Amino acid sequence: MKGKDLINIGIFSAIYFVIVFIVAMLGFIPIFLPLLAVLVPILGGIPFMLFLTRVKKFGMIWIMSIIMGLLMLLTGMSWPPLAVSVVSGLLAELVYKSGNYQSASRAVITNGVFSLWIAANYLPLFFAAEKYWSTRQNFGQDYIDTVTKLMPVWMCPVMSIAAFVCGIIGGLVGKALMKKHFEKAGIA
Amino acid sequence: MAGLFTADVENRGLVLDPRTKIAVMLTLVVFALGGTGSDTAAVRAGTVAVSILPMLLLAAARQPGRAAVFTAVYAVMKAAELLLVPKTTGAALSILGMCCMIFVRLMPGLVMGAYMLSSTTVSEFIAAMHRMHVPQQITIPMSVMFRFFPTVLEEFSDINTAMKMRDIRIGGRNAEKIIEYRLVPLMVCSVNIGSELSAAALTRGLGTKVRRTNICSIGFHVQDIAVLTLTAGLYFMWILGMIGVIK
Repeated sequence: MKGKDLINIGIFSAIYFVIVFIVAMLGFIPIFLPLLAVLVPILGGIPFMLFLTRVKKFGMIWIMSIIMGLLMLLTGMSWPPLAVSVVSGLLAELVYKSGNYQSASRAVITNGVFSLWIAANYLPLFFAAEKYWSTRQNFGQDYIDTVTKLMPVWMCPVMSIAAFVCGIIGGLVGKALMKKHFEKAGIA
Repeated sequence: MAGLFTADVENRGLVLDPRTKIAVMLTLVVFALGGTGSDTAAVRAGTVAVSILPMLLLAAARQPGRAAVFTAVYAVMKAAELLLVPKTTGAALSILGMCCMIFVRLMPGLVMGAYMLSSTTVSEFIAAMHRMHVPQQITIPMSVMFRFFPTVLEEFSDINTAMKMRDIRIGGRNAEKIIEYRLVPLMVCSVNIGSELSAAALTRGLGTKVRRTNICSIGFHVQDIAVLTLTAGLYFMWILGMIGVIK
């Protein structure tokens, strides 16, 4: 990996995180909280697919994933996203590598696998619900009840699957947009 | 948003080591945002002290105006959390609770982030990461990313203005294009700026195999020790609270 590759990781991480951040702001409204795992993979798929056209060496996807986990840690989502992103990033890397870093269909699946860390943001909600809410009593009991109703434990695997499926959708959207705009502009 | 990672080295008041700033940031995430150990009174008091710390640092960095505003907002919201929240119910509680959440828990971290970015140069950040033996594969993307955030946000708001003029907005005539017509231009200009940025960085020898030297002299001074003692004290009280020495 050369300096240019590392700089590319930084640039696309910045774009990706801005999207995560804007969508996460919607999470303050209860109904939008589960939608995070839907919206981020779809919208993030657009920059991510463009990022993948820049990925030619082992480790770039993995590093971006670790950086996302670190940012989640720094913004107060605790450690589960980091733990998951380290693993899912490596898996995403391996998926894309198996297509020799150029297969378009593998790229779509890569976005699905990469998106798994987003679902990890909810892990404390399922496995440590009491602790999670004890630090968030400020939200008011109504908010807590609404979210608890929206998120029974069986939702946990569903969220991961949703993130994966939406990642695939996002990948397809990103691919379509690349064909429509970026290839014409000569940057894909 | 000017002044991010482009600190005016000559005129920035009290200088802290970047590592100290990171330590304060993590402490804020654990205690203010995470609410760790909030069942111990001493930790609660300590959390307030640490939450005010970013404002003090901001004042020490010659930004007293902003520091005063943030401190006032924090004081008002903290008072509201302590006095009003137990008395309200229903929808009022939800709204008030949300406001308290944002200002009491989130704001100190954001102020710390703003302070960190406005008082540190990228060189210092890299020097600090280097001393902590963080590999280059993480430091370079991280420093590029921090350098790039303000650019992305600025471009995004300009694109947003342009698209509003074309009625591509929520409730506008062309609402269906709302996402595509924002993200695509953002991506195109980010990629262009990014390649200029990487050309600039490569000229400075970023990413070469040789060991880079760094002109920044970072190190721990009296002010760092004072700040670190405060944060360490908070962790100490938390442990004492957990083993039941203090309540």
